[in-house]
Amino acid sequence: MSARSPITDTPMTDTPILRVKNLKKYFHVAKGNLHAVDDVSFDISKGKTLGMVGESGCGKSTTGRLLVRLHESTSGSIIYDGTEVTSATVRDMGMLRTCMQMIFQDPYSSINPRHTVASIIGEPLKIHKKVHNNLEYEERVRQLMTTVGLAERLYDAYPHELDGGRRQRIGIARALALDPEFIVCDEPVSALDVSIQAQILNLLMNLQEKLGLTYLFITHDLSVVKHISDDIVIMYMGQIVERGPTEELFKKPIHPYGQALLSAIPIPKLNSKRDRIILKSEVSSPINPKPGCRFAPRCAYAQPECSTADPALREVSPGRFAACRLAEQFV
Amino acid sequence: METILALRDLEVQYYSNRKTIRAVNGLSLDMHKGKVLGLVGETGAGKTTLALSILNMIRAPQGKITAGNIRFAGNDVLTMNKHELRNMRGKDVAMIFQDPMTALNPVLTVGDQIAETVLRHEGVSKEAAWKTAETMLETVGIPADRAREYPHQFSGGMKQRVVIALALACNPKLLLADEPTTALDVTIQAQVLDLMRKLIKEQGTSVLFITHSLGLVAENCDEVATMYAGEIVEFGSVKQLFGNPLHPYTKGLFGSLPDLSAVSERLKPIPGLMPDPTNLPSGCFFSPRCPFATEICHNTHPVDIDVEGHMVKCHLYTKKGGKA
Repeated sequence: MSARSPITDTPMTDTPILRVKNLKKYFHVAKGNLHAVDDVSFDISKGKTLGMVGESGCGKSTTGRLLVRLHESTSGSIIYDGTEVTSATVRDMGMLRTCMQMIFQDPYSSINPRHTVASIIGEPLKIHKKVHNNLEYEERVRQLMTTVGLAERLYDAYPHELDGGRRQRIGIARALALDPEFIVCDEPVSALDVSIQAQILNLLMNLQEKLGLTYLFITHDLSVVKHISDDIVIMYMGQIVERGPTEELFKKPIHPYGQALLSAIPIPKLNSKRDRIILKSEVSSPINPKPGCRFAPRCAYAQPECSTADPALREVSPGRFAACRLAEQFV
Repeated sequence: METILALRDLEVQYYSNRKTIRAVNGLSLDMHKGKVLGLVGETGAGKTTLALSILNMIRAPQGKITAGNIRFAGNDVLTMNKHELRNMRGKDVAMIFQDPMTALNPVLTVGDQIAETVLRHEGVSKEAAWKTAETMLETVGIPADRAREYPHQFSGGMKQRVVIALALACNPKLLLADEPTTALDVTIQAQVLDLMRKLIKEQGTSVLFITHSLGLVAENCDEVATMYAGEIVEFGSVKQLFGNPLHPYTKGLFGSLPDLSAVSERLKPIPGLMPDPTNLPSGCFFSPRCPFATEICHNTHPVDIDVEGHMVKCHLYTKKGGKA
C-alpha cells in the first residue's frame, strides 16, 4: 500500500489524531493586520509528540491556542479525530474539551491563587460532571495528585505555599483530570530551573508512555524539544519553514533559518565550538508583511527572487520539508 | 595572575516577617584580571545578591552585608563612602541587568542615558559626552542617528545592546553581567554575546558572567564557580569543571540537561528542592538532596577541598586525599 498522507508523508496507517490545514489567524491592530499564524498545515499522529519551535512572536503559542479554540481562527481547518474544531457547536466543544487539554507556561499566573490545590485539580471534574459524589471526587483528585507526584498532604494547600515545579504539577494534574488524549503543552518548563525542569520533562514522558497521550510541545528551548519530540516543526513569522523527524532535522537542518537557529544553541561541553551562524538584524514586523520569503531580509543566501514570491513548504527529501526556493542545495 | 576582585567570607542576609533569609553564606571568591568568570546556579542561589554586594548595593534595612570583606583592585568596597562608591559604580565596575526592558529609563533618549554616565565619570564637555554615546552605539551595531530615540522604539535585542553600550562606555575594569541574554531569543543571544566577547577582549575587561545556562559558560568563560544556597560549592577552570565535575550538585546540573548529541533517554534530575534560606539544613546544605550523603554530611559543614587546583566543598573528597 503506497497511500501516503499528502501533508506529512507518513503512511496512512499511522492515523493522525489531529489534522491542521491552511490555518490562519490575523489580529486586527491599529496599523493593519498582524499575521500571527499565516497558512500553517501539519498533523500529529496518535501517541506522538510534535515539537514546535521558534522565537518569541513567531506564532507558536497562537497556533497552540487555536487548536484548543482559545482563539477563533481567521480561516483554515483543524480536524480532531474526525470533528472540525473551528466550526464545532458549543455542545461539540464540550465533548472536544474533554479530549483536548492545555498546559500553560507560567505556573504562577495560570492557576487561581484563591483556590486550594484540590479544587484547582478537581474543577474540571465538576464542570464536566465526571464524578457523582464527594467520595468519588476526592478519590479521583487524590489519584491525580499521585499520578503527577504531588504529596497528598498538599490536598488543602494554596498555590502560594508551593514552588514553581509543584505548581506546574498542579497544572498537569488539572489537564489530566478529564482523561484527555491530546495535550497542548505551551512552554511547560520554561519558567522552571534546570533541575526542576528535568523532573517535569520526565513526568510528561512517563505520562505519555502510561496513558498513550499525544502532545503538541511548544517551546523556544531547542535542547528540550529535541529531547521530547518525535517530529519537529520550526516556525518563523507565522509560517512553518521546516518540518522533519527530530533526529534527522537536528543532524542537518535544511532551511537557512533552521541552520542558524540550531547553530545558536549553546552546548554545555568542552570544545563544542561550532561554526555559528550569526544572523543579520532582527525579525521584521508581522503587521501587513510584504510578499516573498519572510526570512529573506536576514538570509545569507537570499537572491532577488526570494523577495518576490512566497516559498511554499515542500518535500525536499523523503520526510523532510522546507519552505525555501534554494532548499535542494542544503540537503 | 593579577587578582582584581577578592571576596572573603562574605555573608549577606535579608530580613522579612521576623525571619532571616541567609542569601550568601561565608562566600570567598577571587576574580582574575582579564578573565571571564561564569557564576552558575539556580534561582535563589544568591547569584544576583552576590553581584549587588560587589557594588555595595544591598539595600538597607531589608538587606545587610553582615560579615566578610570585598576588595576591588586593592580597595575595601565596604568601607567606601558615598562619594567613592559613586565614582566606582558605572566607572570601574559596571553592571548589565537581566531585563533590558526595565534597565533603561523610559523617558530619556538612549543617547542621553549613555552621555549622562560619560559626563558624570569622565569630566568631559556635553558635546564630547554625546559624541562618545554615539560612538558607543555604533560599536554595538546601532546607527548613531538613533541616539535621539527612546527605549520603547527599540526591540529587545537592541535594548540589551544599548545596555551593553551604557555599561562599557567608561571602559570599566570589571563588568558584572547578570543573565545578560536570558530575556533574548537564541539567535539574538548569539548576536549579543558575539558582540560582548569582542568588546571585552578589546578593552581587557574582567567579567563576572552570571547565568543558569551551563552551555553559555562553556562557550564564553575561562573559569566557573557553581553556587548553591549562598555558597560556592565548586570552582575551577572551564576545562576542569566541564571535563571533570566534582561536586554532586554540579554533576546533578549536568544530568538534568538534555544532551543534544545523544538519542534521548530519561534525564537524571536532582531529587528534591533548593533548601529554604530561612532554615538551612545542618551540615552540608546539599546533603538532603545528595545521593552520596553520609552521616558526616548531615552533621558537619564541609570546607573547601583542593583537588589539583580545582576547588570543591564536599566531604567526599577529604576521603579521596584532597587537601583542605
